[in-house]
Amino acid sequence: MSRKRTREEYEKTRSFRLKQWVDGSRDPFLDRIEMKPKKPFTEPQEVKERREVDRERMLSRVYDMNRNARLREFHRLYQVFAVLFCVILVVMLLTAVSWLPTVGAEDRPVNNEVAARYIENGLQETGAVNIVTGMILDYRAFDTLGESHVLFTATCTVLILLRQDKKRKRKTNDRMYEPKNDVILQTAARVLVPPIVIFGIYVILCGHLGPGGGFSGGAIIGAGLILYLCAFGFEKTERFFTARTYKVMSFCALACYSLSKCYSFYTGANGIESAIPLGTPGAILSSGLIFVLNICVGVVVAGTMYTFYCMFRKGGY
Amino acid sequence: MQILMGLLLGFLLVCAVSVSASKSLLNSVCIYMSYSLVMSIIWILLESPDLAITEAAVGAGITSILFFVTLKKIHAIVSEDDDLEPEGGADTEGTVPTEGVVSTEKDAAKEASRA
Amino acid sequence: MAAWEWIRFVIGGFLLLCGLGIFAIEMAGVYRFRYVLNRMHAAAMGDTLGIGFSIVGLIVMNGVNFTSLKLFLVVAFLWFSSPTSSHLIARLEYDTDEERESHYRQKELKDLETELKTGEKEES
Repeated sequence: MSRKRTREEYEKTRSFRLKQWVDGSRDPFLDRIEMKPKKPFTEPQEVKERREVDRERMLSRVYDMNRNARLREFHRLYQVFAVLFCVILVVMLLTAVSWLPTVGAEDRPVNNEVAARYIENGLQETGAVNIVTGMILDYRAFDTLGESHVLFTATCTVLILLRQDKKRKRKTNDRMYEPKNDVILQTAARVLVPPIVIFGIYVILCGHLGPGGGFSGGAIIGAGLILYLCAFGFEKTERFFTARTYKVMSFCALACYSLSKCYSFYTGANGIESAIPLGTPGAILSSGLIFVLNICVGVVVAGTMYTFYCMFRKGGY
Repeated sequence: MQILMGLLLGFLLVCAVSVSASKSLLNSVCIYMSYSLVMSIIWILLESPDLAITEAAVGAGITSILFFVTLKKIHAIVSEDDDLEPEGGADTEGTVPTEGVVSTEKDAAKEASRA
Repeated sequence: MAAWEWIRFVIGGFLLLCGLGIFAIEMAGVYRFRYVLNRMHAAAMGDTLGIGFSIVGLIVMNGVNFTSLKLFLVVAFLWFSSPTSSHLIARLEYDTDEERESHYRQKELKDLETELKTGEKEES
């Protein structure tokens, strides 16, 4: 590959002259070009004054502590209020925690009766054969809503950190060694991606009958989409999955989830029987809203996994 | 069954320690992937198939892929012969391939200096 | 018939143990070879064959029912995906190899032709 060269050999090569030119240690025009004597640089007075005024205005707004007095005040106030806010938040949370029952106390219902109630009456009240799905999507559906919003927030954060504008050219081409149109990979992807997606849909839809549910099924579908992307490249995938698709998908799924749960809250808080039938346990169209909620969660998770991969690879869609 | 569980948990311990103690980042990510796989098996032994499916799909599938893509972006995948430190900057993984495709300015300088 | 069950159990167990042995041999190969492609060859072949034997053993133990069909689908999926990933890793290794001359023997086309001709002359 490369061997050590002596200094004299190196000084004869072109790259040394290039380095000298870049550093500025040797003037390339000296002794080579006839140059006319240059005029001294003069500037009209208005241009100079305008330049100074612009500079003062810019410096007064720039994020520099030494020149910006307003920024200094804001910084001091910010420090005080930040500490105050953190202290208040910590005190509030600690008070809330101290109202919880002690872990393992005998006379509190959370340790004795809640788990037994879920297991005994789970099938009757939720209609789901899989008690775990019944719990996370019926008894504790509000927590799952929070979790879906956490996924959404994570995607927003990744978008903020990793998104690249199209105008700036990519400095390094790190996809040089990637197999482009590899025949084996494309054939395998053609054979494997449909079963993967079908299996993911099966896991989502049968969440209340067997193990699985929205999260696992969504992750499986996301993995299938990633395989398709790796095999066929970005142009082909952007025919059916663009940024707009993801935005529309995740917004609709989260809105649908929230609206369905609003209905449940309304009927539960006012003591009305909900109009959605629970169905026979074991049938696929049973257990009321769990079916719909599984689909919403699965859609959000699949889009999130694929978005993360796209953001990491390319910085965009 | 207890012996199997004990073996798997011991393997988990070894994996966890070696993820931190390994010198090459690529090795760490591969061991992390195997940690996730063994965790998935333990979830099955503890009779929770929901968690097993989710751990297999998310841990061994998606998270490991994201780690590999990150390693590629920061140019931390080095071969065994080089120094085991990720060289931050624009060093590519290998030399210029034989077709003579030049990707960055540093590769161009390398070509010029070798020619 | 109890005897038939027993025979099935013994055959299934034997196939499972064969699979386990193949995995052990593969591990020995992966730890002893020094070059990446040799290790990968050992790993890919050992994985494919080991999984095939193990799951066929489980199918034999289980009999002919729906679970066996699911196990067969698992084998089919793994036999599709594992060689593809090995192929991609091998291709990447070949593309980014720095010491290509010392790792492979590359022959020119005319050398191959002369070899074929001398081979024909020796036979005839």
